[in-house]
Amino acid sequence: MKIVAVTACPTGIAHTYMAAEQLEKSARAAGHQIKVETQGAMGIENELEAKEIAEADVVLLAVDIEVEQRERFEGKRIVEVRVAEAIKNPKAVLERLHA
Amino acid sequence: MPEVEFQCPLPNGLHARPASTLAERVARFGSAVELTNQRSGACANARSVLEMVALGVKLGDRCRLSFAGADADEAARSLRTFVDEELPVCDEALPAENTTSAACELPRGLRASCSRWYTGTVVCPGIGEGRVVVVGGARVPPALLALPAVAAAQERERFASATASVRAALETRLASRPAAVEEGILHAHLSIVRDVGMTQRVAAGIAAGRSAIQAVAESSSHFADLMRGAESAYVRERAIDIEDIAFQIIEALHGSRLRSPQLDLAEDSVVVAESLTPRQFLALEKQFLKALVLEHTGGTSHAVILARSFGIPTLTGVADVRAHVTDGGGAVVDAHLGIVIPDPAAAVRRFYAREQQTLRRREERLARFTGLPARTRDAQVLEVAANVATLEELGPAFASGADGIGLFRTEMLFMDREAPPSEEEQFAIYLQAARAAQGRTVIVRTFDVGGDKPVPYLDLAAEKNPFLGRRGVRVYPGQAQLFRTQLRAILRASAFGVIWMMVPMVNSLEELRWVKARIAEARAELDASGRRYDPALRVGVMLEIPSAVFGICDLASEADFFSIGTNDLLQYFMAVDREDAGVAGLASARHPSFLRLLSKIVADARAAGRWVGMCGEMTRSPRNLPLLVGLGLDEISTAAPEIPGQKAAIANLSFAACRELLERALACGTTAQVEELVAHFREQGAAQNLLESEFVCMDSDSRSKEEAIQELVSALYVAGRTEQPRALEDAIWAREAVYSTGLGFGFAIPHCKSDAVCANSIAVLRLAQPIEWGSMDGEPVRCVILLAMRASDQEGAHMKVFSRLARRLMHEEFRERMLAARDRGDVLSCLTQELELPPHRIG
Repeated sequence: MKIVAVTACPTGIAHTYMAAEQLEKSARAAGHQIKVETQGAMGIENELEAKEIAEADVVLLAVDIEVEQRERFEGKRIVEVRVAEAIKNPKAVLERLHA
Repeated sequence: MPEVEFQCPLPNGLHARPASTLAERVARFGSAVELTNQRSGACANARSVLEMVALGVKLGDRCRLSFAGADADEAARSLRTFVDEELPVCDEALPAENTTSAACELPRGLRASCSRWYTGTVVCPGIGEGRVVVVGGARVPPALLALPAVAAAQERERFASATASVRAALETRLASRPAAVEEGILHAHLSIVRDVGMTQRVAAGIAAGRSAIQAVAESSSHFADLMRGAESAYVRERAIDIEDIAFQIIEALHGSRLRSPQLDLAEDSVVVAESLTPRQFLALEKQFLKALVLEHTGGTSHAVILARSFGIPTLTGVADVRAHVTDGGGAVVDAHLGIVIPDPAAAVRRFYAREQQTLRRREERLARFTGLPARTRDAQVLEVAANVATLEELGPAFASGADGIGLFRTEMLFMDREAPPSEEEQFAIYLQAARAAQGRTVIVRTFDVGGDKPVPYLDLAAEKNPFLGRRGVRVYPGQAQLFRTQLRAILRASAFGVIWMMVPMVNSLEELRWVKARIAEARAELDASGRRYDPALRVGVMLEIPSAVFGICDLASEADFFSIGTNDLLQYFMAVDREDAGVAGLASARHPSFLRLLSKIVADARAAGRWVGMCGEMTRSPRNLPLLVGLGLDEISTAAPEIPGQKAAIANLSFAACRELLERALACGTTAQVEELVAHFREQGAAQNLLESEFVCMDSDSRSKEEAIQELVSALYVAGRTEQPRALEDAIWAREAVYSTGLGFGFAIPHCKSDAVCANSIAVLRLAQPIEWGSMDGEPVRCVILLAMRASDQEGAHMKVFSRLARRLMHEEFRERMLAARDRGDVLSCLTQELELPPHRIG
């Protein structure tokens, strides 16, 4: 499965990156392709490109705040979870993408 | 027997003021009148305010007045009208009782364990714990109480004359038109002296064979105890007034002032008083004086100035604190937060033990800087001197690293005594100061009396506005002999060290010339008698009047140096009375106009080739320091305890950056803009490591999340990474409130974005015992990593490290390495490698 994801937490110092790391680690272990954009204190990093979004099977948002440029995902299937869920139980989060 | 029943219509109950009105009305009649509180059944003589107040009559209580005597019917009719028509309107609203001291928010670590505290103004920061010693109450020396009574008639007579003299003294003070607050207190005190209940009780005591002193002491404790048992805090607080007055009467009976035995401290003590005289303060054994708490408001009384120079944690303006603490009980004073906590619980004491340890560590760390001159990173040297008022302060000042004494206030030598000090007495003092300084400069300011610092034997007439009246140099022509004596003493001491002489309140060149002429005369006299002095003695001007600032070029023809006295300069420049709490907020030293004035002073002094320093409150705030460095002063002179911190802070600044900050501040339109600039000021060039070995705490004994966060912040505070540890803690807790930073696996990463931290930092805590953190997996935490980021300085490189750390924490190998680390060095090398930090010296 091709996944594009965005992580964003309130201060953008820690949880944004922890969630990104967990999702990348678990997705690869499960044989998925994933790209995670982080929206943190340093702004948007590892930005998702339009092509990547277009090709993705699903958009995963692990966020506690409003996502920037949400309009990019219009028309896509979006699964939204809390940042903490992605950190605590990334496997369960990935499983929800199969629906 | 006629009776009048009524229900108390007073919202604050029958307290002293309405009770006095009632007693005055009763006094018009000859009958005996008794007031009964029917709720409690207690009754009181309606002529005695004290007895009536002690009944504790509250709003709605049913009361009865009963009358016996020739005019009983007439009295009852009059009192009926009084309670119906006058009593309900004879009281103004009292300030609401402050039962919960919610004005100040306690630090997290205290909230659960501390239920009662009282707030005041911090005048000297620090933490002190000890036994409460209330000074100034009616503690009569036991020896006096043990004196046997003489004939009752004689004791009665002595009591009558003692009461009359106390009453006369109070009436004299009232006649001198004191400030409204004092007037109210004097009236209250007068009503106690006149109180029938009190007088009768003393008379009964004497009749029973007691001495007048014993009888007064007994009556005082009787009424004070009644008041203390009252439900209303207002009434409870009146106990102190009774004791004050009784003490004054006993002093009058004894025939001289009693030295309070409480001044002899024998163990760690928290001294609590309405106010203290400088003499009283100096009499206290400093070794045991752990904190000082005053009811009196104001940060410039002499006891306060002294307390500050001895570094005694001090609070002022703690309303009615004597009624809230127990004499002989325990108390903790937190003179950072501005609170006093009576009878602290074990958890409160543990909290402060940890706090004190932090302060000790910080002191030790700062001590490295004390022996060295203060030098900015770009090698600008700024002398950091101490302000003192007594010889006793010189030792602590030099031990704190003072480069000199920038202000030796001499008026203290003249105050609190019956006659002025002789030339020899003064000479001995200045000589000791010169010798103690060991070659460092001592700037002796000639006596600055008048205004707020009256001296009895000088007989200066009262003035309507003493701050604008005869003070400082203006007093000297009328006190020529006194001034001449001081000049001779200073000149003679100048032969034995480096003494400079500074003249206060100079407004014009003429005044300075007059002083110089007197110095020339004194020198001629000394020459004639073959006495030595330093012929090159420098004479300077304390700049505290704006007109002198605009006359620096003229004054420089006679002045060798200038020192800016910011307290008075600020109040004269801004037209703000520094003692008036209502307007004091208007006088900010960070007002752009004031900064422009300071900038002009330095520029003009430089143009005239003169040395220029600053003594005064402005030097005390660390926040002002970059501005002061930017001004390019030769010296700042401050309270001794501030010196190590100031020197350490200067070492981290660069003159160039401070200069630029000052330039920007000078261009600001408002104080708020300056505050903003100063708050966000950070040296660009001062690249600092994110992580230092000092920020790693192993085997922490923290028992809770609160303690763990406190400990991490303390580590940063000790290392000088934050000057506002509480604000930093608050920022961390604000983040914690969104959701817990316990990320599972035994790790927590509290973090914040706040300018309370001076540079981006990582701190690590390894816990001896796991603690609850509300983690995602419900497991307790064994390792805590704090990420403190400046809000205005999210430098990319540091942010990268933070995000790398966050990512690494998701990997078990990293976590295990962190938990397996045996010491600081292991933690440091683990983080340095994993986070790709610049190589670190480990040691």
